[in-house]
Amino acid sequence: MKRGGNGVNSRVAASKGMSFSKSPVLAVSLPTWRSRVVLFVLFAAFATLAVRALWLQGMSNEFLQKQGKSRYERTIELPATRGKIMDRNGQVLASSLPVKAVWAIPEDVLKSPPGKLAELARLLDMSNAELRKKLNSDRTFVYLKRQVEMDVIAKIDQLDIRGLDTRKEYKRFYPQGEVMTHVVGFTNVEDAGQESMELAQQKTLQGATGSRRVIKDRLGRIVEDVGLSKLPHDGQDLTLSVDSKLQYIAFSHIKEAVEKFKAKAGAAVVLDVKTGEVLALANYPTYNPNDRRVLTGEQLRNRVVTDTFEPGSTLKPFTVALALDTKRVTPNTMYQTAPGYMVIGDRRVRDMHTYGALSVAEIIQKSSNIGMAKIALPIPPQEMWEIFTKSGFGQQPKFGFPGAVAGRVRPYKSWKPIEQANMAFGHGISVSLLQLARSYMIFARDGDIIPLSFQKITEPPVGQQVISPQTARQVRTMLESVVGPEGTASKAQVPGYRVGGKTGTAQKLINGRYSNNRNVGSFVGIAPMSNPRFIIAVMLDDVSGVYRTGGWVAAPTFAALAASALRAANVPPDSTVTDIIIPENPLEDNL
Amino acid sequence: MSFKINILLAALLVSCALALVNSQYKTRNLFIELEKLQQQSRQLDIDWAQLQLDQSTLGKNARIEQIARTELNMAPLSPARTQYLTEGDK
Repeated sequence: MKRGGNGVNSRVAASKGMSFSKSPVLAVSLPTWRSRVVLFVLFAAFATLAVRALWLQGMSNEFLQKQGKSRYERTIELPATRGKIMDRNGQVLASSLPVKAVWAIPEDVLKSPPGKLAELARLLDMSNAELRKKLNSDRTFVYLKRQVEMDVIAKIDQLDIRGLDTRKEYKRFYPQGEVMTHVVGFTNVEDAGQESMELAQQKTLQGATGSRRVIKDRLGRIVEDVGLSKLPHDGQDLTLSVDSKLQYIAFSHIKEAVEKFKAKAGAAVVLDVKTGEVLALANYPTYNPNDRRVLTGEQLRNRVVTDTFEPGSTLKPFTVALALDTKRVTPNTMYQTAPGYMVIGDRRVRDMHTYGALSVAEIIQKSSNIGMAKIALPIPPQEMWEIFTKSGFGQQPKFGFPGAVAGRVRPYKSWKPIEQANMAFGHGISVSLLQLARSYMIFARDGDIIPLSFQKITEPPVGQQVISPQTARQVRTMLESVVGPEGTASKAQVPGYRVGGKTGTAQKLINGRYSNNRNVGSFVGIAPMSNPRFIIAVMLDDVSGVYRTGGWVAAPTFAALAASALRAANVPPDSTVTDIIIPENPLEDNL
Repeated sequence: MSFKINILLAALLVSCALALVNSQYKTRNLFIELEKLQQQSRQLDIDWAQLQLDQSTLGKNARIEQIARTELNMAPLSPARTQYLTEGDK
């Protein structure tokens, strides 16, 4: 403070007359500590500033660096496309294309002229009132419409409405529509699989979005990458086992049959015998996956995979195969089926016709319930249960298909004789059509069964032996005789090809009781017999009309389907064309 | 002497700085070009997917059958009308 004091004094010395500080008014001597305090406070303030500057510049600069970067760096999201789904020949069944979601800040949009809003409503395919209703919201962000196609977006952009913006997203297109939808499924607006293969393969189909940080120039062009960018991973493409051509054939025949026989619904499945691939899987009624505004459960239901039914006579060959395999019978062992009914416990088993003495082969051919009961009763329940289980019944299927059901085979310990007899002809047991079709592998493939695949496979899987090859051949001969003029499925004959199969008619369980007039007619067939290529299973639900048995409705559907499928697959004919004999009153199936 | 070296170094520094500016400018231009081409490749991918989709839509079996039946008056082939040739037949 001394120096400061001197300064004042020197100025005083330099001035003329009475100096300012000498003025008597001001001649109050202030205590020196006051100026010291001022000096100290000023010094402290500067020191604080210096420390703060040092702190921001050197020690804790992250925050400011970040703030600075956010002024010139941008993070760009790199979208990933969902994988395509293709059929076995590479035809696209589902593919994603970029579209845009239109969103709005309601407050701003409502300020634009009404003419423009009306035009916007028209472009978005909604009424003016609908648009206004969406805009009359307290929120600051409202989706007006999602998944708008790019050409519409271009027109909307031309309207130049303030407060309206778009966001990139993807829309899934299904060119094959209702024909393929029960195999392929569909996705929701968030691009997540909802049904069938879209759902089953969600993990591999979906991509992972990436991101990158960039510097943009004044014109919005990217001029530099900064830092690490995360590359987007597109979803993997999926090649299904299904064949578009066979699928269309199966679908159109099922549709025709449902309409012709006035059935409630129908389903068909075509399997490749050699590889276990599912070549076609058709359902009717169906829906269009590209327009799902009105969807009923009936349309969505996949009757091949997710519905179970009592198969009826289609199950007979299994018990016969078991009896043949364990040498209990030969194809020529005779059984007396007269007088057309049989009492087991307090229940009756009956045949529609009285046949008299039948050989095992004829029991299959004519589908005699009594014959089956007589073959089945001496067999221990455990053995029957085992062949059912090995053939896949009652087992949780490993098809890789969502919603696939296991069906039901009750534990053998609780079987009563009548139940065992019933099961021999397919009652008291429930299966899905796909399980049923797969189980026929043991006959079509010389006794072994292979897993099914919904995806195209390169190597045929290894089978698990269920019955001996010889038994399989014997059963095949029987199945072929079913289709002959003496059998229950003469309408299943295919011109030019040897085919075989078994009909099934089961009464539906309505409120826990078997219905007399509502049934499920089915047919499972193998074609061609000389070298099995396909297993085709057909099921018609709730057929109304005079003829409702599997032999009358499902067998001709099988024949039409098989004829087209064999021709489409270029399978050489193994029989002459002209030897088809369909009797006027073909034998009817037993219920 | 040292004055001359200083001049030389200063000139060198300035030219280096200018070269840096120039190369930075070129980098950015090339980068913009690269971005443009990548954008183009993405667009081509999308176009390809669109065309594949169109092909599948137009090649739908239902459509082919309908056109074959109505416009071209074709009928499905039946084995009865087919002549099969077997190898070795005389």
